Amino acid sequence: MEQLINDLKLQIKEALNLEELSMEEFDENAPLFGEDGIGLDSIDVLEIIVLLEKNYGIRLANPKEGRAIFQSVKTIAEYVQANRKK
Amino acid sequence: MDIQIAGYGIICAIGNDAQSVLRSLQEGRTGIGPMRYLQSSHKELPVGEVKLSNEEMRRMLGQDEKAIISRTVLMGAIAIRQALQHAQCSMVNGQWSMKGKRVVVINGTTVGGMDVTEQYLLRMKEEDDLLPLLEKHDCGNSTRKMADLAGLQDAEVCTISTACSSAVNAIILGSEMLKTGEADIVIAGGTEALSLFHLNGFNALMILDKAQCRPFDKTRAGLNLGEGAAFVVLKAPSPLPLWGSAAVSLKRETLAAMKHSPKGGAGRGPFIRGYGNRCDAFHQTASSENGEGAYLAMTDALQMAGLKPQDIHYINAHGTGTPNNDASESAAIRRVFGENIPPVSSTKGFTGHTTSASGSIETVISILALLNGFVPANLGWKEQDESCIAPIGNEELKMKNEEFATARNVLCNSFGFGGNDSALIIGVSPSPSKEGEKHQEAEARVVGEAVITDIEELGELREFVSAGEARRMGKLLKAATITSLKALKEAGIETPDAIITATAFGMLETSEKFLVDMLENGEETLSPTLFMQSTHNTIGSAIAIRTKCHGYNMTYSQGSDSLEWAMRDARRLIETGKARTVLVGCHDEATPLFQEFCRRMGKPVPQDIYSRSIVLSRSSHA
Repeated sequence: MEQLINDLKLQIKEALNLEELSMEEFDENAPLFGEDGIGLDSIDVLEIIVLLEKNYGIRLANPKEGRAIFQSVKTIAEYVQANRKK
Repeated sequence: MDIQIAGYGIICAIGNDAQSVLRSLQEGRTGIGPMRYLQSSHKELPVGEVKLSNEEMRRMLGQDEKAIISRTVLMGAIAIRQALQHAQCSMVNGQWSMKGKRVVVINGTTVGGMDVTEQYLLRMKEEDDLLPLLEKHDCGNSTRKMADLAGLQDAEVCTISTACSSAVNAIILGSEMLKTGEADIVIAGGTEALSLFHLNGFNALMILDKAQCRPFDKTRAGLNLGEGAAFVVLKAPSPLPLWGSAAVSLKRETLAAMKHSPKGGAGRGPFIRGYGNRCDAFHQTASSENGEGAYLAMTDALQMAGLKPQDIHYINAHGTGTPNNDASESAAIRRVFGENIPPVSSTKGFTGHTTSASGSIETVISILALLNGFVPANLGWKEQDESCIAPIGNEELKMKNEEFATARNVLCNSFGFGGNDSALIIGVSPSPSKEGEKHQEAEARVVGEAVITDIEELGELREFVSAGEARRMGKLLKAATITSLKALKEAGIETPDAIITATAFGMLETSEKFLVDMLENGEETLSPTLFMQSTHNTIGSAIAIRTKCHGYNMTYSQGSDSLEWAMRDARRLIETGKARTVLVGCHDEATPLFQEFCRRMGKPVPQDIYSRSIVLSRSSHA
């Protein structure tokens, strides 16, 4: 799980160009959306959907589904662990 | 002053000319279906294709069957030829004879020759012989080629590229040029062929429906892409109008004479009575909840036409079928029309969303509806959604069609990425003459300017924006943001009245990344962020969002003439009193691949970045 969380952080940082967010600052429990968290938006949801398909073979057909799963890096990791195809 | 529509031509999924489009509309027959001509792996996506192969279109235009011509250019040339024929112009030796007239072709397109580029780009990396095909790519060149192919070799050409509102904006610009006397005849509209590039882009944004689209319906789940072209021939009204300025009643026989007939001859109407272009200044791909940009555009159009909301008898909505667009447009329509909303329909269930061409395709559909006294159906609509207006339902349609025989004015909405929102009002008769339309003498003066010509200068960005805001910006957006904000600062202005952008190639870096990824790795897992930033008006929209500018927002893409067109527009806005301050930007970038291509062709190699912003301000004569 630790490894998966770390991988996801790196992949999200790269896909969303979060250059100025250091790995130490990137808390896996911090909310990804909204101003008191990482501050991502609806286009980022789509990028994370692409990332999950590319790296883990997970296909989400509806962005709304994504929003519920993508609360934090931790929740994404749990979802990936349960649903990954690669 | 109203502008006369002297002729029109159209080619889209429901017909290859106005007659067949009219028939499909009246019979409720959709043109959306399985993919036939586009070679995509996404066979699950229904599309609204023009039912002709490129080869068939080349033959129609008398071109060599093997010639490489973009489908965008082919469809555009066919629609222009129809429009000029309908306007009863005559052709001599393959060229339309318009002696002594200043003729301007204004085309709205964003995809341009992308269909050719995506077919040959990877091979161009190896084969020098194919490199000249590169010049078919950009919008400005496509327009030139289209005008030549249509038989308008001597006409001046201009390209507007504001994504899905492009074609209505072309009609708006044409009308303005006729009003100021800059042109005698304008052929305005838009053309856009389906491409793998934008099919996959919309797919990455997850706004394509795998079933037939259902605009305004509760179960709507996205749009279907379509393709096509439509052009109108515009003229300033002749000195002796058929109906006097006080004309109020329109006789039935007059109306009959104006109807589209196979012999051509659109009589003296209809007329473009009003229009508006505004920016939602909210998001690159989403519309605001209250539809601010759309509301302002419709309000401007009504005001110019001197009409009240109740004078509008039909609204041809933008209505794409995405949950976001239809709710936002509904909110805007409710704000303008209150409780008394006239019959509304989106005709995208017939044609699919024809993107940059949709504005002129739907303008021609609106004209056909007006002149033939019927309301087109809103195909696919079954269930009312609380957040949406109810479009015209099947049961109401028959009854409304009887009322509509006396309809006089229709409103056509056309919205694009970056919140570029336009509205056009077409009437069967001209407005009562408005005296005192004279503008005050005014001059445009440069009050701020900034230039960037080197990547090194982009470090300044952080003085203006946060890291979070900068994270998605490529070098072109960074440069444009810096020069725009610096020029505005020098001018002491926070929000300009209007933003006009000039760009030959637009968002080259993000477009190329998306395209190369798609060609090399296939049509799956492509980046929505790259596509979202691929339209030419991404730049003008980003500046509008940053400066909270809801005013006029236009993007010109006509090669090295782009800046001149932008400056002309800015001066026109100021001189006609439509704006006091205008931000004009000229922004272009190059990529290593593009530079290599130019080097191999022995052409001048474009620099990495060029961004120049100028603020113009109105200065009255003492």
